[in-house]
Amino acid sequence: MQRTQRTTATSPVAPAFALRGFGTLAAARSSSDQAEFVRDLSQPRGLSSGEWSGRTDSVLGLQANWQATPELDLVAQAVSRYRYDASYRPELVWGFAKWDPNAHLSLRAGRLGTEFYMRADSRLVGYSQLAVRPPPDYFGALPFAHIDGADASATLPVGGILLRGKLFAGISTEKVPLADRLWDLDGSTMAGGHVDLQAGPWLFRLGHAALRFKHDLPAPAATVITALSATAVPSAIAAASALGVRNTESRFTSAGVVYDEGPLQVQLMFNRTQHESTTFQNSTGGYLLAGYRVNRFTPYAGWSRVISTPKSLATGLPNVPPLSQINAGVAGVLADSRSNQHTTTLGVRWDVRDNIAIKLQGDAIRGTPESIFPYRWEKAGWNGQTNVVTFSMDFIF
Amino acid sequence: MILAGLFLSAPACADLVVIAHPKSGAEQLSKEQVVNIFLGRFRQFPSGIAAEPIDQAATSSEKAVFYQRLVGKELAEINAYWARLVFSGRTQPPRQAASAAQVLEMVAANPGAIGYIERPKNESRVKIVFDVEK
Repeated sequence: MQRTQRTTATSPVAPAFALRGFGTLAAARSSSDQAEFVRDLSQPRGLSSGEWSGRTDSVLGLQANWQATPELDLVAQAVSRYRYDASYRPELVWGFAKWDPNAHLSLRAGRLGTEFYMRADSRLVGYSQLAVRPPPDYFGALPFAHIDGADASATLPVGGILLRGKLFAGISTEKVPLADRLWDLDGSTMAGGHVDLQAGPWLFRLGHAALRFKHDLPAPAATVITALSATAVPSAIAAASALGVRNTESRFTSAGVVYDEGPLQVQLMFNRTQHESTTFQNSTGGYLLAGYRVNRFTPYAGWSRVISTPKSLATGLPNVPPLSQINAGVAGVLADSRSNQHTTTLGVRWDVRDNIAIKLQGDAIRGTPESIFPYRWEKAGWNGQTNVVTFSMDFIF
Repeated sequence: MILAGLFLSAPACADLVVIAHPKSGAEQLSKEQVVNIFLGRFRQFPSGIAAEPIDQAATSSEKAVFYQRLVGKELAEINAYWARLVFSGRTQPPRQAASAAQVLEMVAANPGAIGYIERPKNESRVKIVFDVEK
């Protein structure tokens, strides 16, 4: 990685323009054919029928940096990956101007990756991670990759420690696949921030972010809401309103600690997600991941957990046909966001070269049959359990 | 290449030191300050002058030894660290010089530059601000 040139009399030949890239070639297989394992909810299909597939984790990114002045950096990053419309069409994930007036302050405006949780903004860069993918129990419910907006970071050294803070705000332009429909996030507002404390090898973070949705969910939720409203029963209309997502807020609170020194690295993170809308269950998640490097091999082990709290909603409609169909529809919507599972991960990272890593990872997911939120296309026989094996090759250039 | 990486990744570098310009205002830096500058966490000398770190060539033994002694990391891990920061649009890695001689020239010519080389002899153009101990 070459760095661009500043005002130095004698300097290496380093252009003010730099082109870099990253990528992952992966093949993964899930043992269950009753629900499709996905990396996160931005993916419309996952691993099915015991087949090997590259769609969950393969990615290619290209980034251009132009250092216009020592303080001003222009950055654009395009990424091709399996996305919401089941295509690999490249999209602009980052495209911003960064102004660092001094060592303390950094301001960015444009298209920015979302950093809802620690390392959420680099989760597509497999080479930068110990494991094949960020734990889906923790990051899987985050289908948001970027916002159009701005952020500001401040750094303050206090004795031997560093305090950092960041605030961001912006508007989403993304879409989320839900069954065979798309949920439009376009126009949804996101804002948040975090505080970091870096002390030697230790990094502590507290973070919070909020998202206000611009649009309601598509069918089947929309169909249920329409049917509830059509009954003209006040309690059913109230239920329809409670299921609405438009103009409701979802809040993401997180705490994390990373220890990284010498051959040992450990990450421990917790999150709590709260949704104003009754449609989504509030959830708690966490993971522990540790690796220890021995020469060029880093075996790692992890454990993650996500559990949601079911919400109840009375429609006031009697359970007789045809109204019972509406009640069943409501129950279906409420059950859709249920998570209750844990994952045990074992793997090894082999740094073949200083820019290529090969990984082999196994994930044993154990959940209840109701745990369907983290998956796509679950079937009646889903028992909440699957084992995923992944080979990957990560590279940077 | 692979075998060389496995067995020769940390050859003995007798005496690495971190050098800065006499006008950087730095007499001596702490290990944390050197780490902050080279890992892009906080790039400023205690005097307030912006610090501009310079790496030796990627294939140099000095670079491997420097990061091994500073933070106990292999170059692959340092690259993974920078991949995270670069591809999330944050800090840039240090500029890379072609040779130790060039590091010396760049530091001698720029009050903000900071680099690491084998302990120089009779060199008054730069100041030793940190001993990279074994």
